[in-house]
Amino acid sequence: MRFTLVLAILLMTAAVDAQSRVTPAPVSTARADAPIDLTGQWVAIISEDWRWRMITPPKGDIVSIPLNLQGQQTAEAWDPARDEAAGEQCKAYGAPGLMRGPIRMRISWQDDNTLKLETDYGIQTRLLRFGPATPAGPRTWQGVTSAQWIVRGGGRGAPRFGSLKTVTNNLRPGYLRKNGVPYSERALFTEHWDVHALPNGEKYLVNTNVVEDPLYLQAPFQTAIHYKLERDTSKWDATPCDARF
Amino acid sequence: MRREILKTATHRPSTLLRAPRALVEGRGIEAPRERIQKILGVSVSLCVVLIVLSTGRPAFAQVELGGTYAIRMYEDYIERGPGSFLGDFTGMPMSDEGRAKALRYSSSLPSMIERQCLAQSPWVGLYRPLAIRIWNEVDESGRVMAWVMGGDYLRDTVRIWMDGRPHPSANAWHSPSGFTTGHWEGDTLVARTTHVKTAWIRRGVGIPGSDQSTFTVFITRRENLLTIMSVQEDPIYLTEPHVVSRVWEFDPRASPAPLRDTCNVGAEIPSLEDTGEVAHYLPGQNPEEDYMVRTYNIPKDAAMGYAHTLYPEYRKTLRSIYKPPTSCGRYCCGWIERQGLPGAAPGLTCNDGNLPAELRKAITAPER
Repeated sequence: MRFTLVLAILLMTAAVDAQSRVTPAPVSTARADAPIDLTGQWVAIISEDWRWRMITPPKGDIVSIPLNLQGQQTAEAWDPARDEAAGEQCKAYGAPGLMRGPIRMRISWQDDNTLKLETDYGIQTRLLRFGPATPAGPRTWQGVTSAQWIVRGGGRGAPRFGSLKTVTNNLRPGYLRKNGVPYSERALFTEHWDVHALPNGEKYLVNTNVVEDPLYLQAPFQTAIHYKLERDTSKWDATPCDARF
Repeated sequence: MRREILKTATHRPSTLLRAPRALVEGRGIEAPRERIQKILGVSVSLCVVLIVLSTGRPAFAQVELGGTYAIRMYEDYIERGPGSFLGDFTGMPMSDEGRAKALRYSSSLPSMIERQCLAQSPWVGLYRPLAIRIWNEVDESGRVMAWVMGGDYLRDTVRIWMDGRPHPSANAWHSPSGFTTGHWEGDTLVARTTHVKTAWIRRGVGIPGSDQSTFTVFITRRENLLTIMSVQEDPIYLTEPHVVSRVWEFDPRASPAPLRDTCNVGAEIPSLEDTGEVAHYLPGQNPEEDYMVRTYNIPKDAAMGYAHTLYPEYRKTLRSIYKPPTSCGRYCCGWIERQGLPGAAPGLTCNDGNLPAELRKAITAPER
């Protein structure tokens, strides 16, 4: 009897433990269940690819991006004047290109199940929606983003960790790089958001992301982009889209 | 006093093992021996449950990091592939001392016999074009004592101690790989490296990191992607932390370079041998100091690695002075031709970086 009881407790412990490790914890609201705090003003640190992110590189400079032949040809046909004339000066400000730009972004809760991401660069807004998928409307620069917390730990008083996974589709065709390196409306943009803290309290946000595009890419375009949390929010500088600079 | 303590200990059995008064006095229903056995049995069971509860939910998660990871050079391709242009310090928050030292760097310096085997910074793999291999070292019970990262012949392996040992004294020996400890925060292994040697930070341009550098490194594996973010702090050569984040992809077929067990030297620049000269440029005489300015029209403070050029507000300055080059001059297709994949299409202006003709022909041949 005694050993049956012990065995039962063991099995229950293992089952509960396995379940908590494999599946995300049930949520009441996304805000209440957030394992990390993404809110605040984050600034991109342009310590990588400075020449391709801080300024607009010349046409044909497609280094680092795994374009296929069609992608190259499209990049070669880049014409900012044509984009301006078509009212498409925001093509480099769609979600996959924007996140790699010289941005400041403010993340806040729009409601209990929606994170709002705003950028000063291009004055863009993207909504990260938790819960059931929302009906896709017309394609937009920021597309439709579904969000999910990935929760680790937190059981029985243990520290709680986690990250955010988002998947964005329904994108309007845009540019991965300001000089016309393209992604198509078939692009799928997957992001993993982690917040890391240094011992001195400084916080960094790392966005590991993958752009998949069967039309213009010959392989998934995988990068990690980092941002620093700013306590002083005075450097926010809203500037409209610019097709050239 | 000592005797009293011993006496107290002898006459005070632990609460769990102490028999009830009724049992001791023979008033119990069960025989005393059976009752004691039962109590001991329950106690043992409780202990087992407590042990299970404490070990079934570790204080930290352990993600299996072991394996080989293929490089994904979708960031800083030129630096990680053919190598940075001399005088390109863009994206770096360098101090005046760091800048001065970097400008004294000559490409001939690491070719000198005395310097060919200098190991580079422990985390130089973040700037290299190579796959990495990660494995663990376990104790007799299988507990992970350390994670080890290898795969770059330019440096020693990085051993991340996970057993809680402290960092050595500040006066302890500094080694090429430094001293690194780690702990888990969710799915992220957080590593901290100290006790490094003075070494170059980035590839081939002489940007220095001092032996007072410390690194905080965040290593996250999710599914097949491995993200490594490094924050290097250096009170000598940097004015603020230098941050990079990179991605690798798990690939059992990735072939990391062999580990650095031996280093053989050879006369790479015969004219330098036995001259007693150390290759360098004197202050103000580096001919490449203005390379980025004259080639890419980049303002000199950006090319020379001033921290304020890393942030979006610097674009206000750039907007008024930057004029983009009319065309891309070198290494414009990068990833495509170097990976040997189709891409060098006829009629495109994409520059292949002066590849040898036979190599260009080989990689642009139609796929069979």
